[in-house]
Amino acid sequence: MKARIVDGTEVLKIVDLLRQQGYEVIAPFGGRGRDTSFDTVTAENRPRMQLHLPNPYYPPKRFVLPHIERLLKVRRRDGELQIGPTVEEPKLAIFGLRSCDIAGIAHLDRFYLGRDYRDVYYERRRKNLFLVNVVCTDAERDLSDECFCVCTDTGPAARGHFDLQLMDLGREFMAVAGSPAGEAMLADRLFRPGTPAHLGQRRAILGEVRKRFKTNTSWFPATVRYVSQGKVLDKTWEEIGNRCLECGGCTYVCPACTCFTVTDRQVGPDEIERVRIWDSCALGGFTRMAGGHNPRRAVHDRRNRRFFRKLAHYFIQRELSMACVGCGRCVAVCHGDVGMPSVVEMIRRTTVEADQTAVVQP
Amino acid sequence: MSTATDNIYLPKVAVLDRVVDEINEVKTFYWHFDDPEEQRKFRRFRPGQFAQVSLFGTGEFPASLPPSPTESETFFTIRTVGSCTAALHAMKPGERFAVRGPYGNGFPMEDHFGKNLVFVAGGIGLIPLRSCIIYALAHREKFARIQIFLGARTPRDLMYRGNLHAWERSAGVECHLTVDRSAEGWTGNVGVVGSLFKKPGVQVPVDNTVAFVCGPPVMFRFVIKDLLAMGLPERSIVSTLERYMKCGVGKCGHCCIGVAYVCVDGPVFTYEQIKKLGEDI
Repeated sequence: MKARIVDGTEVLKIVDLLRQQGYEVIAPFGGRGRDTSFDTVTAENRPRMQLHLPNPYYPPKRFVLPHIERLLKVRRRDGELQIGPTVEEPKLAIFGLRSCDIAGIAHLDRFYLGRDYRDVYYERRRKNLFLVNVVCTDAERDLSDECFCVCTDTGPAARGHFDLQLMDLGREFMAVAGSPAGEAMLADRLFRPGTPAHLGQRRAILGEVRKRFKTNTSWFPATVRYVSQGKVLDKTWEEIGNRCLECGGCTYVCPACTCFTVTDRQVGPDEIERVRIWDSCALGGFTRMAGGHNPRRAVHDRRNRRFFRKLAHYFIQRELSMACVGCGRCVAVCHGDVGMPSVVEMIRRTTVEADQTAVVQP
Repeated sequence: MSTATDNIYLPKVAVLDRVVDEINEVKTFYWHFDDPEEQRKFRRFRPGQFAQVSLFGTGEFPASLPPSPTESETFFTIRTVGSCTAALHAMKPGERFAVRGPYGNGFPMEDHFGKNLVFVAGGIGLIPLRSCIIYALAHREKFARIQIFLGARTPRDLMYRGNLHAWERSAGVECHLTVDRSAEGWTGNVGVVGSLFKKPGVQVPVDNTVAFVCGPPVMFRFVIKDLLAMGLPERSIVSTLERYMKCGVGKCGHCCIGVAYVCVDGPVFTYEQIKKLGEDI
């Protein structure tokens, strides 16, 4: 590892470097209480930047997949149709991404750019995106009670998929490049070479912070196996479904959820825009067809669907990553306590019980 | 399959040529792409594939492709059921809309060369199967026996009349029709599609056979039961699934059931696969 070191007092100068290179820099900012949100860095808010603060609930997914994104602009003129794609190619840098969100973007990359069809809208937004990962090292300010990246194997320090990774070693930060663009950044005078002692510090801090996670749902592998083998009991899905209030919150805050709907809207007398909007499998109309037939009726069918999609081995193998990154947002927003860790625990508990009963009763 | 520069959500302008009434609420829309190059590319579709039809201002919907690639014209047969299909029904020849596709796996016809083909359709389930039937008849020497069993509610609900008459008269195909409720002038069979299997003189081959079944869910369930009882294996029964879809290319997530995205992994599945997907047909 070619680690570089930058002083704690100078680390935010990386933001200035990025801005000088023409990037619009996005970073998390503190609000009232626990509230934080991603925002564009400006001369006005630059002094308020912080490196350690709770991860915003509204995920950074929207910078590659906007909540509402225009796909086409269509003009009708003298009976003719002019269809214009509206592909955008911004130059964005996100500074201060947590490792879970890095994993989220990695998953979206595999989903939108993989298989037979590439999503050109996603691809263009992703093309110039510069990702600066900040490792969660401050148990008080970085970690929430709901964090469980240690269980999904996505944190606290991302192993790749960033351009630059920063880790707080106390007075200094360790900087590691994850791409040629990040490598180029490290050539700046801001950075100096790291020493074996710095690596030792890194290991010690990571070892310590790993012990500070409050949610320890370490049954993912077992749950993936149960879900993939169809061993989860119907009554477990029903129990999960009964707790779901069908608000769709979990899907909107999820950095790895990919579903969207498409709709047309009139923007002028002869002009129509086609937009795509984040959608949620928790909502009843998600699978309802014209004419009213809905093959997925009950709420537990829909919950089953969401967790099956995230936990089935088939999909993990297909995308080479799990559609859950351990950020804990679904736990924080769910009113019915059916965020991922509780679901994993419920599945594991009830399935193990059923397995044991099956062994006892011949 | 897309190349790096393709925009998978970009439909191409199409012109409506003419509209033909099929049955109540169902019309056939003949159309072509404005750009001849698009028309040429599109015509490489396979039986069983589908396309996304855009009515700007209303939306986009997936539609089966009833023509066979061996035919020269491109058309959709659409029942008016929601806002998009209603918008299409309201269109006049010469007007423009947009189409993208073809999408989906389609029926693997080459895998069935040398086999007996049994087509079982109920109502508008004939729309996706029409492509297959026409294709099979155009390559008649490549297949063994070809049987068609077709059911409709009443004689007035039988669609593609011109084709039906041709199939009934054709020596190379055994075509059997039935209706749920008879009407004046109807001399054919009355009863569900499955009742045709038991008619005297009808013998459905089981060995070296593939059965294509499309129709309303209730018909599907009974026909499957009949075919399995006759000894047809589950993997030799194929059908197409319908789901709410937005993108048609495996991204929007609406049609995802079990381990499959109906739009890219389907819409054609064997009954063996459908059973494992774990959702209503």
